[in-house]
Amino acid sequence: MNRHVNPEDSDLYALGALDGTEMQELEAHVRSCAECARAVDEARQRVALLALAAPAVAPPARVKEALLRQVRAERVPEVHRSGAAKVERGPRFLWLTPVFGVAAVIFAALAAGIWMKDARDNRRIHELEGQLAVVETRSLEIARAADETDRLLGMPGTAKVALEPMPGMPAGRVGVLYNAKMGMVTYAGWLPAAPPKKSYQLWLVPMKGDPVSLRVFSRGEWTEPETMHVPPGMAAKAFAVTEEPEGGMPAPTGPKLLVGGVSQGE
Amino acid sequence: MTAPLQQVEDSSLVERIMAGDENALAALYDRYAGMLFAMLVRILRDASAAEEVLQDLFLQLWRGASRFDASRGSMAAWLLVIGRNRALSRLRGKARHEILADSEEFSIEAVPSPGNLENDAARAQLMQRLQGAMAALPSEQREAVELAYFEGMTQTEIAARVGCPLGTVKSRVRAAMQTLKQVFDDESTRQPGRL
Repeated sequence: MNRHVNPEDSDLYALGALDGTEMQELEAHVRSCAECARAVDEARQRVALLALAAPAVAPPARVKEALLRQVRAERVPEVHRSGAAKVERGPRFLWLTPVFGVAAVIFAALAAGIWMKDARDNRRIHELEGQLAVVETRSLEIARAADETDRLLGMPGTAKVALEPMPGMPAGRVGVLYNAKMGMVTYAGWLPAAPPKKSYQLWLVPMKGDPVSLRVFSRGEWTEPETMHVPPGMAAKAFAVTEEPEGGMPAPTGPKLLVGGVSQGE
Repeated sequence: MTAPLQQVEDSSLVERIMAGDENALAALYDRYAGMLFAMLVRILRDASAAEEVLQDLFLQLWRGASRFDASRGSMAAWLLVIGRNRALSRLRGKARHEILADSEEFSIEAVPSPGNLENDAARAQLMQRLQGAMAALPSEQREAVELAYFEGMTQTEIAARVGCPLGTVKSRVRAAMQTLKQVFDDESTRQPGRL
């Protein structure tokens, strides 16, 4: 491909829609043409922004909390470097050298003590600030979830589903509110601890297509109301919690723990 | 007086991240996590997986912020491109280390700025315009673009999925992209100097 890339092809390339040969020819040309490389880069950013065509969805607060926990864990301990005081010693004050020596040792010990205390205090303050930020974030998330739950309850077409334990399975209760038109799911409830190397996974089972994973639970926990967003317009047949290998699966594979059918017409 | 972090530009937040300021990372997360999470859930159809990719993405930003050149790149576009690549790779069943390697290939400096997406109001406005444009597309054009963007399908794969000749699919995708491009062209006219 020696001619310049058609702007439409740049868009298709960025979209990932070009097939093998077309894509290879375009890539070969772009490697040797700065002008087309720039056009393809522009197309790439333009096409990436198509994601904005979907309404933004706030991720659960736990994602940010986990991110910040990991960032703190990775942080290299800060090294406090204090510039060593340089003492000019002229010949006239040589007799003071032992006095300076003792004073310097005492000063250094005091400085070290103060520095260590400061460092401890700073670390503690930093930890407390981090904890406060987590609490504030969680409070806001709970308040927002409560608002979203109220909003969802007030919307026509919202289905209320109570997931009941299947015979012989461990107890647990999960309630779900679902509005297909808005693509919003709110769930809350309690699940027991999953067996070793297992997780429990909450699914939306649509009328058509594959189940959609909503949440993986590893520990026994009470879940405050949380809202998730799924592609709008997906009619739900049921919601279910299944037992899966630890960390969850892309599609359900294990036994059902809880199941709740969606009454059609809701 | 120091400006609240919500009002600080991406480039300044990146500088703070490089200096180890986790509050700056949190501010960028607050700014862009919503749009990214919506895209990731749509691609992966699995909220847990989307959460994992989202967290990885910002962790990569924390570790590699020094590679960001604000004069040549847009943080929003970088996050969306890398996020989409990762999600599609995951959808295709690639191992995690392969996905990370793939997304590293895309240089942050290679993404020109699309407009002032750092500003909440401007971002909301562009979202509104794009949503309107997508909704106005003929359904078969919208379907073709969505299959390519959110499911990573080539035109041949789309033709097989929808049961249409390849030429028809090509026409649909091209027509849709022309319409959507107009939205971006209008946006760049509104924000001179940003594109």
